Amino acid sequence: MIYFDSAATTLQKPPEVAARAAAAIRTMASPGRGGYRAAADAAQTVFQCRTAAAELFHLDSPEQVVFTLNATHALNIAIRSLILPGEQVLISGFEHNAVTRPLHALGAQVRFVPGGLFRPEEFLRGLRSELEREAPAAVICTHVSNVFGYVLPMDGIARLCRERGVPLIVDASQSAGILPVDAAGWGAAFVAMPGHKGLYGPQGTGLLLCPGTQRPRPLLYGGTGSNSRLQEMPDFLPDRLEAGTLNVTGIAGLEAGIRFVLETGTQRILAHERDLLAHFLCGLETVPRVRAFAAGDLKDQAGVLSLQIPGTDCEQAAETLARYGVAVRAGLHCAPLAHRSADTLEEGTVRFSFSAFNTTREADRAIEILAARM
Amino acid sequence: MVYYLIVCRSLTYAQRTASVLERAGITAHIMRSPKAIAGEGCSHSVKVSHRRLKDALVVLRRVGMGNNRIYITEGDGSYKEVAL
Repeated sequence: MIYFDSAATTLQKPPEVAARAAAAIRTMASPGRGGYRAAADAAQTVFQCRTAAAELFHLDSPEQVVFTLNATHALNIAIRSLILPGEQVLISGFEHNAVTRPLHALGAQVRFVPGGLFRPEEFLRGLRSELEREAPAAVICTHVSNVFGYVLPMDGIARLCRERGVPLIVDASQSAGILPVDAAGWGAAFVAMPGHKGLYGPQGTGLLLCPGTQRPRPLLYGGTGSNSRLQEMPDFLPDRLEAGTLNVTGIAGLEAGIRFVLETGTQRILAHERDLLAHFLCGLETVPRVRAFAAGDLKDQAGVLSLQIPGTDCEQAAETLARYGVAVRAGLHCAPLAHRSADTLEEGTVRFSFSAFNTTREADRAIEILAARM
Repeated sequence: MVYYLIVCRSLTYAQRTASVLERAGITAHIMRSPKAIAGEGCSHSVKVSHRRLKDALVVLRRVGMGNNRIYITEGDGSYKEVAL
């Protein structure tokens, strides 16, 4: 199988990920709940993963790294921490349902930053104007669109939020492990990400980075192995947001994934994925009828490419590709807002997304299948 | 043997404390706090030897981690808070 669905989850992982997870399930107990060897080993593994994440994302302390189930879980915590029902929030037009559904459930007043696909300057102008019009309770912005790979200008976005004292939540689901994610440098209140995409960890892992001074509100309440006599959740991180037993098996694998990213370097991974993207786009020129959503300047796009084949249903196109051994995702990608912003809501798109383990040969084979079968 | 326990608010804080001390060449061992000194229930402590406490405090204060309760073991196995 040629796997081009890494924006959903990376399938090919560094071998150490499975090895570490398997070792953990055999040898590790619950971290922080006992002083015996199996609990101590689990605690050490969890700490090593926090430390690796703090290093990768430029945090002052591993305590600012909170383990979650996935990016959606992390975003829910961040949103519930900063936004009250009825309050205004400003979001980009490329947010995933992981952002828009919690806001809808909360009853927040959602305002949108104007700015079309692959138009970062227009987005910054729109954000400035919206912030000047009325300050929201928070700005929430994806770093990279999960549908189009559009890299939003996060340094500029963060600077505008800092200047106006508006808390920023960054959805780094598609950028963590690929682009520089400078959580502390941005001055973000929270940065949410999955562990199972660009960080190459197992599914069921995610991270919430908390570099800011905002007091997060727990989504889950329960045992933390600390302050057990009190009925309130601890007021310190990470315990405040980590009720119940952690996913030590997943975290052990995630640490191996993060170490892979640290050793390889995000710059190298990004360059590889952009080379693949450029190679794939070049090949697409030989395929008639295909409409590819590509940035004029590839610095505005990272590792994800959507396309349409006029006259062919996107789901049927993905089915055909699957029959010939190419795994992609079609439809709305849980991001109807992004499709609305790009005017693809009715038809949807077929999404190709790459990882550090894909090759140009795989891209060539996918192009051959597209040319022959569509 | 006389030793000191640096009581930490969380396991992660204890791990960070031990990590800072180990990097400075001070042997530090993480353990669950004895119930008598655990404060509001479960907590973790970092155990350091009698002769390295002073060095440990200097190192921890240097990195802004010096605000912990510290206990010394008594001959009868009980603990006494140390006034710094």
